[in-house]
Amino acid sequence: MEATETMMGRGRDAIDMIVDADSFNEGTIGAKTFDDPEFGPGAVVGTAALNGETVTIIASDANAFNEKFPVVYAGIIGMEEGYKMAQAVYASLEADKAKPVAEKRPLVLIVDTPGNGPGKVEEIFGMNKATGAYQLALAEARLAGHPIVAMVIGRAISGAFLCHGLQADHIVSLDANFGTMIHVMPLTSVSRIIRKDLETLQELSKGNPVFAAGPRFFYALGGVEELVGTIEGMRPTIIEHIKAIRAAKAAGEAEKLGPWGRGQLGAEREGRKVRPEVIKLMNQEFAAVAEKYAPSR
Amino acid sequence: MPKWNDLQEQSFLESDARARAVGLVDEGTYTELAGPFDRFYSPHLEVLGEAVEFDDGIVTAVGKIGKTPVFVISQEGRFIGGSVGEVGGAKMVNTIRLAIEFHDKLVADYPDISDEEKPVVVISFETGGVRLHESNAGLLAHAEVMDQLQKARHKVPVITLIGSKVGCFGGMGFVAAATDAIVMSEFGRLGLTGPEVIEQEMGKEEFDSSDRALVFRTTGGRHKYIMGDCNVLVHNTIGAFREAVAKLAVLPVSEFEKMRRIGSPEAVERQLRAVALAAEMQPQDARDVWVKAGNPDPVALTDIPLDEFLADVKRLSV
Repeated sequence: MEATETMMGRGRDAIDMIVDADSFNEGTIGAKTFDDPEFGPGAVVGTAALNGETVTIIASDANAFNEKFPVVYAGIIGMEEGYKMAQAVYASLEADKAKPVAEKRPLVLIVDTPGNGPGKVEEIFGMNKATGAYQLALAEARLAGHPIVAMVIGRAISGAFLCHGLQADHIVSLDANFGTMIHVMPLTSVSRIIRKDLETLQELSKGNPVFAAGPRFFYALGGVEELVGTIEGMRPTIIEHIKAIRAAKAAGEAEKLGPWGRGQLGAEREGRKVRPEVIKLMNQEFAAVAEKYAPSR
Repeated sequence: MPKWNDLQEQSFLESDARARAVGLVDEGTYTELAGPFDRFYSPHLEVLGEAVEFDDGIVTAVGKIGKTPVFVISQEGRFIGGSVGEVGGAKMVNTIRLAIEFHDKLVADYPDISDEEKPVVVISFETGGVRLHESNAGLLAHAEVMDQLQKARHKVPVITLIGSKVGCFGGMGFVAAATDAIVMSEFGRLGLTGPEVIEQEMGKEEFDSSDRALVFRTTGGRHKYIMGDCNVLVHNTIGAFREAVAKLAVLPVSEFEKMRRIGSPEAVERQLRAVALAAEMQPQDARDVWVKAGNPDPVALTDIPLDEFLADVKRLSV
């Protein structure tokens, strides 16, 4: 596999490469405007045209530093960033609330983030709420019919990927040769913490994708729908997935999308084979006793 | 397993996941789903040569409190820190899903169904989040849980309980935040980044993770109650947690919307006012915020008995 150009740290460039030329209007989504440049500078939100269609863009700015919350730099999502991203989603919902499902604007998440803000002030005030708020907003928009595509261009690390990416209908990723990183932690750190030598883990990774880091392993687990082989491929791939998502929602197949859909994909790709067995057995076991838990009349 | 009546008096902090689950619901109503006799364990731990548990460290069950069907998820901190992998994650996700499906079925079958006859989900957290031995599968399971929590909205209330040794951290820290109501004991801890990681990021002089009192006043039950992140603060017995759940379980689902801290544009605006306060205050310690909330003697707040604390404390309003 040949190493090529990387998009890491280039969220703003990626926006320009993906959307229609000069169409990105930062800081405005429907009636909502984000006027304070010092508010959540690590999060880039706005509206663009993609293939002529209005879309909401949410990305991280790896070059921004949040003066008020110094743990936010290099694309980290802090409290302001998390809530700002949530506001961008709610503004998209509000802007299209009167529109039929088929016309709800897509949301494109450009993913390059190393983490959520770690810090004392963050824990005192509850960083967990900021990242949770954004995820709930995304899930609400997805269930309301907005197609959501996450495009991984660089780092999609652990909780930050859960925050910004894993609630999408579909996730696409630049392939591993672009230096794309998808993981909870690198295998070297896993090795130290769980006390298994690195060689063993590397060997096991060949046959079992749950251990290892990288987009290809996530592909095998159904955690990523498609790998993109070229930078130029990002735009048409996203357009294609928006179309596919709309079609699935119109056909009443929303269950094939989002985290639950990726669970099924994980079984099809044989990366997560026990999950469906557990679910099946629980369903049978509950069905056998359900009557006991219904109201007595 | 102790008798049900004895479980009620038992320390929640010291109780294992199954004791908590059994004790929370009415005696004789408990049915475990994918329990240890089904022998679903982690194939990934097995490959690594690690010990497995036949419930994968998560107890999932259904029971009743009064007329309310209660779907219970209870995490076992003594098994790899209550971490979430493929099997345990699937059990958690599917329990919430079953509750939603059951709700929909009951509402269709019983047009006169009352609020207290509709199901609730109760999650007793004891976890640091993703299980690193199978981290990718654990991560994906977290996303599935968040999806189900949103799907449960306006249908099935999801109630969080935190009062076990490991606390509730990592990805499960935001899963808990995303539920409808949070019940904690003063020994419960809730956060995203665990104390050791904060120390590693900020340095020991800024945050000493071995300082137990500091850790508790940053993430512990009393602090979270002041911040409004915990709705109900209870004594450390299974019975006290059960009583709190019983009170909540009969409420209409619309009442739970008012208890939420996140999950709507209005809630986000309220949280942003708190974040603006954080930026303005730059607190060095949680006590600074307690003073701001209207508690002139914050040191005393840590030490007074719980009932006195509950009677006297001022909670932050923004």
